[in-house]
Amino acid sequence: MKSLAAGLVLCLFAVLSRPLPAQPTDQSVRFRAVDIFIDSHETPLAAYQLEFSVTSGNAKVVGVEGGEPPAFKEAPFYDPKAIQQQRVIIAAFNTAAVEKLPTGKTRVATIHLQVAGDGTPQCILKLTTAASTNGARISTQATVEERKTK
Amino acid sequence: MNYRFARAPNGVQGNAFRRSLAILLFAALCGFVGCMKAVKGPSPIPMRSAAMQGAEPNFGRDVATESASRRSLTGLLPGSLPSADEELWVITRSISDNGQRAPEDTPGSGALMTRLPSEEKEVPLPLKHTDVKASINGYIGAVEVTQQFHNPYDSKIEALYVFPLPHNAAVNEFVMKIGERRIRGIIRERQEAERIYQQAKSQGHVASLLTEERPNIFTQSVANIEPGKQIDVKIKYFHTLAYADGWYEFVFPMVVGPRFNPPGPASGRSLDDRFHPSAKGGGVGAVARGQHGISGQKTEVQYLRPGERSGHDVSLTVDVNASVAIEELVCRTHNVSREAVSPERLVVALNSADRIPNKDFVLRYRVAGERIKSSLLTYRDERGGYFTLMLYPPREMTELGRQALELVFVLDCSGSMSGRPLAQAKAAVERALHRLQPLDTFQLIRFSNDASALGPRPLLATPENVRVGLAYLRSLNSEGGTMMIEGIKAALDFPHDPQRLRFVCFLTDGYIGSEAEILGEVYKRLGPSRVFSFGVGSSVNRYLLDHLAKLGSGAVAYLGLEDDGANVMDDFFERISHPAMTDLRIEWGGLHVTEMFPSRLPDLFVGRPVILTGRFEGGGKTNIRVLGNAADRPVEVRIQAELEGAAASHNGLPSVWARMKIADLADRATYEPNADLPANIRQLALEYGLMSSFTAFVAVDSTRRTEGSGGTTVPVAVPVPEGVKYHTTIQEEK
Repeated sequence: MKSLAAGLVLCLFAVLSRPLPAQPTDQSVRFRAVDIFIDSHETPLAAYQLEFSVTSGNAKVVGVEGGEPPAFKEAPFYDPKAIQQQRVIIAAFNTAAVEKLPTGKTRVATIHLQVAGDGTPQCILKLTTAASTNGARISTQATVEERKTK
Repeated sequence: MNYRFARAPNGVQGNAFRRSLAILLFAALCGFVGCMKAVKGPSPIPMRSAAMQGAEPNFGRDVATESASRRSLTGLLPGSLPSADEELWVITRSISDNGQRAPEDTPGSGALMTRLPSEEKEVPLPLKHTDVKASINGYIGAVEVTQQFHNPYDSKIEALYVFPLPHNAAVNEFVMKIGERRIRGIIRERQEAERIYQQAKSQGHVASLLTEERPNIFTQSVANIEPGKQIDVKIKYFHTLAYADGWYEFVFPMVVGPRFNPPGPASGRSLDDRFHPSAKGGGVGAVARGQHGISGQKTEVQYLRPGERSGHDVSLTVDVNASVAIEELVCRTHNVSREAVSPERLVVALNSADRIPNKDFVLRYRVAGERIKSSLLTYRDERGGYFTLMLYPPREMTELGRQALELVFVLDCSGSMSGRPLAQAKAAVERALHRLQPLDTFQLIRFSNDASALGPRPLLATPENVRVGLAYLRSLNSEGGTMMIEGIKAALDFPHDPQRLRFVCFLTDGYIGSEAEILGEVYKRLGPSRVFSFGVGSSVNRYLLDHLAKLGSGAVAYLGLEDDGANVMDDFFERISHPAMTDLRIEWGGLHVTEMFPSRLPDLFVGRPVILTGRFEGGGKTNIRVLGNAADRPVEVRIQAELEGAAASHNGLPSVWARMKIADLADRATYEPNADLPANIRQLALEYGLMSSFTAFVAVDSTRRTEGSGGTTVPVAVPVPEGVKYHTTIQEEK
């Protein structure tokens, strides 16, 4: 299927097991990382654009990290205006040869978040587009996973 | 590189999508439930946290040097953090009400002191290397600066580095590199970014923060650098190059010169300080390495003592793509190699033997063509059109003579000018006195702790008076502080001679921490005077000097230690020997132009184009007319512009435009009390992702906590600029 099968994922973040004060304090603040994966199946992934948004809860974006494969290692650019509303609109592309592009499920970016207070942050991921080397849209799945802090 | 961001669809239509959504949502929730289980509720404050605070190391001046390359920062408690799946309670250092760091956390604190057994000792510091890669297209420079921080000690540190950038730099990228991982920093409102950084630091996360102390002074903070580890921070900015007398000039500043901070409650406040006052002074202190806090200023630069050297060095390449043949290229400040890629393109690199960051890197080049023409550069994105217009004065201005002048030379004779800088300034003024015409008058004013003048009023430029002036000039010495306000009062407050044009020439290194007050005073007292500023030295305060000239409707020139003072003054006389083009107005033809900056159109001098930037709508071919007067005669510049197809374009223009607008708003804040200005600056900077007084970049690695508390703060001490004497400029308690 050449047309885009855009993904949209709602996610809930880790919550604390007891209520915390409504006004965030240093003690209630923690930092969490969310990995974003795109599964392009057998097709080499050459480009993507997606939007990750915090829709509720007290979470702020504090960093946008590049992905795992060398083709998407560089930290992706984001829209500065959107990020003030905790919306991360990122896009990346790579013009390398097909054999250097990732296939299957690939971590393309990591969003670093500061979470505060007792709210349960919720986020939404929209995969706007994903493309192969010839610029054609490809069928993909996008997922997010919270990474455990080491 | 800018990306065009298409608007994301408002949801995705269709049943296939809904099925995918359901599957993905289920998968995501399952994944998160697993994560959620790992997070437990908070436990009581662990005793070890309290112990951490009590065990704060005392890095006084008596800690001995270790000979090993790995230095000890005793007093930290490695392994004092709970495991990752425990809820973490951290006793943090106190944060003041306004969000400022507590005093012990400010730049300059907790310095690792090393007693040096002999001279020429290399002092281990956390900044190892700075790499600069500049690319110039036309008159727009794109510069990537990578600072490599490392930890040469045996416990965790926070590195603090106060460093300069060009005052017109539009800093729009910030990436922290940890090993092979790259985390792009987020632009945030400054106090919010500072809070995020402090919280990340206190929880053991590697984090970095970039703040602006002045338009040309920045602080880089990098928290939780573990022993033996390296963290790189890459900054990118765009800026416009200066052009004067046939030469383009690219400048990369390498060290902040030692500032003098006049006493008084209002002195030295940056724009941010005036709206978010702190208990400390808002100036920029200059203190000896390890003597944190003695200046009483919020921002403090530590300097290496004579004979000390850090391992920090600089590599630099500049790729100059001039579009037309480069006829001549000169770098008087550094030893460079050059490679001609084509007649229009040269790659210049700093030689490995000249990598000590103690002076500005200044590269000048001249391109082919008898005369450069005014030119328009444009760029469009989803936000609309942006342009820069480099506007050259018309040729006929050189055919007009000047009227009699009243020239006032104001020499900075403070301690920082001692030695070669003052000698350069004197040589330049001496040349000027010899070039005066019989109907001109002149005055010489010196200032340091106070100001004094050659006489009560300007003297006619007779041979005898010039001799008197030269004798006075030669008698001047340098010592004391930089009470520039006194020099300004002395230069601008006496009655104006209506028969002559009054030109006031400041010759100074600009090493003063109260730029806003200086500029405000000039604005208040300017009257009919024009101000020309001459930056004298190897690493001068270009922000102050450029803005003095801008506010004073004059022009700026720089006199480096390797330059010929007579030549610089000859260029100045060539400039003022013809009338300026004044009362400028622009007819844009088919373009609809808005938000043009500088908002007050400057006057045009021979040999000195100005750069204007703005937003536009429209396209195709258009004829632009710039109208004005020179010596009461109408003059005109015509520019034919093509805005489609092969039109000159640069993707840095939106950032350049936003930076110039921010500068314009900040300039207004120096003389116009307007509570809305900070909000306007902040909103614009956030929208365009730019550094400003009110915004900052922050990046946090949330994937991992380092062991131990926030680490010991180690400021990066820097060398005093070349030609500046340590003992006359740096505050040191014995």
